[in-house]
Order: sequence, then C-alpha cells, then structure tokens
Amino acid sequence: MESGNIPVLSVNEDTIPRAYEKAIREVWEKGASIRTEYDHPGDPPSRDATVIIIVRNPFGQPRFHRSFADGLGGLAEYVMEVVHGAHDYWVKPLEEILKGTKSKDTRWTYTYHGRLFEYRIEDKVVNQIGAMIDKLSKTGYTRRAQAITWNPKLDPPTEDPPCLQRVWGRLCDDGEGGYIYNMNTHWRSRDLFKAWFENVIALTTLMRKIAESISQRTKKRVKLGRYVDISDSLHIYGSYFREIEGDAEKGIKSFFETLESRSFEERTWNSDFIKPHFINDGVGKGLRPMLEREKDMPEKVRKAIAEELLLMEEEDYLV
Amino acid sequence: MKIFEELADEVQKGNSESVEELTKRALSQGISAEDILNNGLVAGMNIVSKKFKNNEIFIPEVLISAKSMYSGLGIIKPLLSELNVKSKGKVVIGTVKGDLHDIGKNIVAMLLQGAGFDVVDLGADVPKEKFLEFVKNEGADILAMSALLTTTMIYMKETIETLKNAGLRENVKVIIGGAPVTESYAAQIDADGYAPDAASAVDLTKRLLGET
Repeated sequence: MESGNIPVLSVNEDTIPRAYEKAIREVWEKGASIRTEYDHPGDPPSRDATVIIIVRNPFGQPRFHRSFADGLGGLAEYVMEVVHGAHDYWVKPLEEILKGTKSKDTRWTYTYHGRLFEYRIEDKVVNQIGAMIDKLSKTGYTRRAQAITWNPKLDPPTEDPPCLQRVWGRLCDDGEGGYIYNMNTHWRSRDLFKAWFENVIALTTLMRKIAESISQRTKKRVKLGRYVDISDSLHIYGSYFREIEGDAEKGIKSFFETLESRSFEERTWNSDFIKPHFINDGVGKGLRPMLEREKDMPEKVRKAIAEELLLMEEEDYLV
Repeated sequence: MKIFEELADEVQKGNSESVEELTKRALSQGISAEDILNNGLVAGMNIVSKKFKNNEIFIPEVLISAKSMYSGLGIIKPLLSELNVKSKGKVVIGTVKGDLHDIGKNIVAMLLQGAGFDVVDLGADVPKEKFLEFVKNEGADILAMSALLTTTMIYMKETIETLKNAGLRENVKVIIGGAPVTESYAAQIDADGYAPDAASAVDLTKRLLGET
C-alpha cells in the first residue's frame, strides 16, 4: 500500500465455499499490510482490503466449507443466535453497557438479532427486519428496505462494537409471476479467516427467512437472488500467518496447502450431510442440546428453535 | 487385529454408525472393552489428533470424529466401570466465570478423552467454587481452565488462590489456555503449565502426569 490507498477487491462466485476460498486468496495476495487493535506485540501487520463478495447462488451446493473455527453444532447455534435471538438474553443491562470499558460485567453488549429485530431508540423498540418485510411486501422495488445495527451512543465506547452494519434488500420480478429477493450486507470490519464463513451462513439463512415471509405475505413465489457482502475492512490477522506447530486455526499457510492436497469435494460439505449435525452434533452442541442446556432462554425463542427443528426434519429443507 | 484397524479407521472418518456396529461386533467376538477402547477408539482419535496437529484436517472434522468415538465409548463404558479399568488420569475442565466461549475448551476436552483421559467437562461460565468442588470430589489429577477474554482470565488466578486456601493446590496440576493467556501469565499466577493450542494441551497433560 505504497500509495496509502487501501485496495478494493471483488470476488464473484457461484457458491459460498468458492467465494470463501477466492476471498482468502485475494486478500492474502492483494491486501495491504495494516495494523489492527487486536494485533499482539510481535505479530506481523494484518492483510487487509475493502472487499465486495458476490455469491450468485447462496444455497448452491456444496454450501459448507470445512475450514472454520467451530463444530457444526456450534455453527447451528450461531445461526439460531442471529436468526431467532437465541443469545439475546446474554446481553448485559443498558446501565452496564453505558459504562463502556469500565464495566466489569462480562456479558455481551449486543447481538445482531437484538439490533436487527429489537433496535432500541429513545423509548421505542423497532423491529427493523419486520419493517423490511412490510415495506418489500407492499412495494417490492423499494430502495428503502434496510436494517442497521450501529448505535452511536452505545457502540463507540465499547471494545467490541458490531461488525455488521446494515442489511439491505430489494425484490425483482422473476418474469414468471414471482419475485427474486436480492440482499446486500455491509460490514465495518471482519475477520475473513475465522468469522466470514459463519457470518454468511447465518445471514443467508436470514435472507431466506425474509424471502419466505414476503412470500407468505404476498402469496407469490419468492426465489433467492444473489447475496452481496461488502466489507470496509476484510482482514486476515497477522497472528494467523505464523505456522504454529499444532494449531490448525493459526496457520494460513496450511490452508493454502489444503487447497492443493484435498479436492474441492473433500474441503466442503453438502447441506444434506450437515443437517443431522445441526440437530445434534453428538459432542454437546446443536439445536437439541442447546434447548436442553440453555434453561434461561426465553420461551418465545425456545419455541422458534423448536419449530426450526421440525423444519429440519423435513427431507427437502436445506440448512 | 483387523477389527481394531477398522474401528480406528471409522473413527477417523467420523462414521458413528459403523463405529457402533464394529464395537458391538468386537464385543460379540469376546474382545475386552479395554482393548476396544485402547486399540480401536483411542487409536483412531490419536491419528485424528496427529492430523489436526499437522494441520491436515479442519476443526469440524475433529469434532465429527469425536462424535463417532463417543458412540463406541457409550457402548463399552458400563463394561469398563464393571471391570474397574483405570483411565490415564482424571481431568476437570471448564471455561472460567463470566466467559461463555467454549469452542477451544471443547476441542481440548475431546482430544484428552480421545487420548484416554477421564474428562469431567464443567462447561462455560464456571465459578471458582464449582472448580474447587469438582477437583475435590472427583479427585482430579489435572484442572484445565480456559478464558477468551482479558476481563475473565483474572478468574484463573482466583481459582488457583481458592485451591490454595482449601489446601488442595498440591493435589492437582493446573493448566491454562485461551487467546489472551500466555506462558508468562501462567507462571505469574502459579499455574503448572500453559498450552497455546488444543493438541499441545494433550501433550502438556501427558507430560505433567509423567506419561511422556
């Protein structure tokens, strides 16, 4: 980055795993070397770029890459966190959030679901995703259907403000009497190697939920269009560059070696393979163990996850 | 024996149904539960652990293999108890108070179990009193604590102090890990060891218990 300009990169692929691998390669090869707040002393600077990623078929198969920093049950729980608010009850009270870094309460300051579905402003709680569905159901071509996460009062003083900033959607006619739902997500900052893939699985599931709600409302078929993911700073942390013996998570080099040594099929999974692991991964995570383990989860959320379980038992339901 | 090789192979592939079937078949052939554990299930997980250490497989694949190992272990566990088969050591593990991150801790727990240790996983957000209770009541050889936040790693020190006050510190080796934790922090709080990753945690446990 001799010019002082952050590179702007673009990736356009058919499926999520293809886009994920291409984005890692692009950021690694063309990203700028910049420091971040999360670098440890002695770490090399992170590799960083502004990146726009287009996934033409978000539920195209294989949909799951095998390289991410969790198990399949853990990923399922994260999807429930974003789509149904499974962990909204882990957020600390407002008076603690307002203390910023002085707060000793280690609970979370936000969840994406909380901000998107229950955004608090003045004395009101706004369901922004609900409003998007309303607006798009009435006027499909509207450019005003969006949901934000940033809270200018709460977020600047915290150490860990939201990465996702905005979700935007628009309908187009499919030429056969139905609609195609297009969705864009905008991100302030993002760990490409350890967060991007899980984020996208959750956000494309939300995309499908929005499309299904619009379909129910309009009584028209709503197919999924392209998913576009725009990050101001999409980065690979310097700490991942080192080939640390025994730590698969931290070896970016080993990721590229895997691309050479294993076929694409051996690096990915289809939704069919994933489904039973989403329900119960056999090692303590997944929808069923989550419902058993998290006794304090509100009843409304519990019910939504139980309904999700029923859907997953249907043969043609893609996770 | 061929059946041990098949078992280890199916554990690596993460094929729970085959592991279950092979475990039952081995028992019906008169093979002892202890041999099935050590030569089939643990042998398979040892290969998985080695591949993970060499960055040959991804984290979700390790967990799928662990699931298949558990499906075999579930069948032989009652028999192991009856035979009073001794494990390689007992490990009490958990993420400290105020910290809900458990991915790293779960992988360590699985690899330890796969290496033949008896693991008591207390989950996440574990208060020091609970660590103390389980170390005492379970007769733990190792206490393994994880933290992912700088704001929660302080509870590792508090837990060690609690063990000292209860007169139990000399009875148990304490190991720690997690993103903000370092070797020097381990020394500073009087832990017995620090592991930067899951595979090293297994090596450290073996070393502390005099296995290697």
